[in-house]
Amino acid sequence: MKLTIAHLYPELLNLYGDGGNLIAMKNRLNWRNIECDIVKVPLGQPFIANQYDIVFIGGGQDFEQEVILSDLKGDKTKQIIDAINSNVTFLGICGGYQLLGNYYKTKDGQTYDFIGALDLYTIGQEKRMIGDFMFSCPYIDNQLVVGFENHSGKTYLGKSVKPLGIIKKGYGNNGEDKTEGARFKNVFCSYSHGSLLPKNPALCDYILQTALQKKYNINLEELDNTLENKAHEFIVNRLK
Amino acid sequence: MYVRKSLSLLIAKTFIKVLRIFGRGGTSLPGKIALKIYPNILKELSSGISSIVVTGTNGKTTTSRIISTILDDANYTFISNKSGANLISGITTVFIENQHKDYKYALLEIDEAAFKTVSKHIDVRYLLITNLFRDQLDRYGEISHTLANIVEGISNCPLAVICINADCSLLSSIGRQVKNKIIYYGIDQPFPTTDYSLSDAPYCFFCKTKYEYSYKTFGHLGGFSCPNCGYSRISPNIAVTTLQEMNEKHSVVEMTVDNLKIKTTINLPGEYNIYNGISAFSIGYTLGIDNKTLTHSLATFKGGFGRMENMSLNGVDTHIILVKNPAGLNSVINYLSTLSKPFVLTLILNDQFADGTDVSWIWDVLFENLQSNISMISHIYISGIRKYDMALRLKYALLPENKITICTTTKELIKTISNPLLIPNTSYILPTYTAMFDLRASLGKQFKLKEFWK
Ligand SMILES: [Zn+2]
Repeated sequence: MKLTIAHLYPELLNLYGDGGNLIAMKNRLNWRNIECDIVKVPLGQPFIANQYDIVFIGGGQDFEQEVILSDLKGDKTKQIIDAINSNVTFLGICGGYQLLGNYYKTKDGQTYDFIGALDLYTIGQEKRMIGDFMFSCPYIDNQLVVGFENHSGKTYLGKSVKPLGIIKKGYGNNGEDKTEGARFKNVFCSYSHGSLLPKNPALCDYILQTALQKKYNINLEELDNTLENKAHEFIVNRLK
Repeated sequence: MYVRKSLSLLIAKTFIKVLRIFGRGGTSLPGKIALKIYPNILKELSSGISSIVVTGTNGKTTTSRIISTILDDANYTFISNKSGANLISGITTVFIENQHKDYKYALLEIDEAAFKTVSKHIDVRYLLITNLFRDQLDRYGEISHTLANIVEGISNCPLAVICINADCSLLSSIGRQVKNKIIYYGIDQPFPTTDYSLSDAPYCFFCKTKYEYSYKTFGHLGGFSCPNCGYSRISPNIAVTTLQEMNEKHSVVEMTVDNLKIKTTINLPGEYNIYNGISAFSIGYTLGIDNKTLTHSLATFKGGFGRMENMSLNGVDTHIILVKNPAGLNSVINYLSTLSKPFVLTLILNDQFADGTDVSWIWDVLFENLQSNISMISHIYISGIRKYDMALRLKYALLPENKITICTTTKELIKTISNPLLIPNTSYILPTYTAMFDLRASLGKQFKLKEFWK
């Protein structure tokens, strides 16, 4: 058994330890004797989204998002939308999350059209929303998800998109409506960067399961999560 | 006004005395209070003094220490913020402390985000910028933002001669943005451990086209050129042409300076310290100090507080190296993976303001590279506020679990790292900023080490 993960724009969308999410997915598959290939898809390379089981899009600096937008337009946008509709698993973090939405309106009122794969939009503001945060996630049993957010964009979800969770501590999508992240088909998005998946093994396994079920229809075995849970609980206790 | 100034000085000096009696450094608070009472205090106390400023992401303290040795060897009279308190409060404290001393220069390490403000108060005549890497983004924002701040700071010091790392595409762009005189230093050769996949700046600063590289030394540093607009590395005034020898104690390099070939030893191990050595050399060169003095200083320099400090704890040969961002920690890992004698590694991760409150950066560090030299690593100890995150990172780097132990308290940690039975060979301790202060304070008490502000 093998899953193939596409890492979109690895040279640009790689901020804040987002690579940790790839390391977590790969290891947690390997530990169950499932192979995992991570294929880098840099700027300017053709991208056939349906060839992959999981597509990962991380966060980047503003300087770099401009470079990406011109590359994303056209065929890549179509590829991504088709893949999402045929239930390929996506994980979008921070900037990668915003890019999947309809548009980004900067604090100066300028609007950048994004790819419109998900019904959501983002409005820039002066103040950054930074810090440890925590949300409850309906897709994993009785569990909280913890992470670190650092964004100045406020994201608002349209009707067809569900939040990934409900904020317990911190800002989440916009600091107003208690939502955090987005879920649409097998697309998972979050403002929690870096070690989102290493520190939230249940969420990691849930995401992997969506990709595995599509391809092999099997369930993942349990792993020893003692250390993962200790790192997780440390933040839960701090925020309680 | 005069009353406010006197009052400000009196209170600050009292604070310095009191804080030090109680064993606290007192390196920032007195200056902070003095500025509150009399905002012009720094400008007035530093007037007539030529400031030599060191800023940039990595290597500020080590480089300042080397420059300090150079200035001593060349008989300059100067003051400096040795303790590493590098915000405006710390700089003000240094000038207050030395108010009645006789000196002509101030050697100041300044935080890259604080530089644009501090440069309004002091007379910067020599400016060294070490490099720019991604660092604590929750505090500084993006790298391009940090660079813009530095350029803004330079506009406050038109008389400054600037020494710039020619291999850094971000810093080199300053040459096109300001009118100051610029001296470039750089390394013409790749480092043996170069990892080509790591870059904090893959795209042209001016036109956003992907750079081409003829070689890389580290991260985004190297022989960059833009195939679209032609922006490329400038051939440096001070250029390392050959890396002759690199071992656990020092490096030997050959440089070209004004067409003269010079061989020098840099008395610190690790590739990254070659940059620190030649950047300090470039400041000495700019000051007009002769090559003989400069090479002597580089060869005899002794590691300073924290950044690479050596000590003996109950006979355990101990090296403390400060780590604070992915680029810095990756270079230390590269160094550790070249060691040919067994050692014990200790990692201490804190997440207080000065460390960066976001510990996600450890996932950008290639701990996986420690696997290549795992037979030399006898054991790994982990401690600090975010010890579980660090342990988790090592688990996912697939380092052997039976070689990893978590120390939950500082007391337990100190007991461990000073126990020759547990640490039979060399000990490398890698703390983040506040972890280093805590460790240093505890070790200082127990082993009677010199107080760090002296
Ligand atoms: Zn260019």
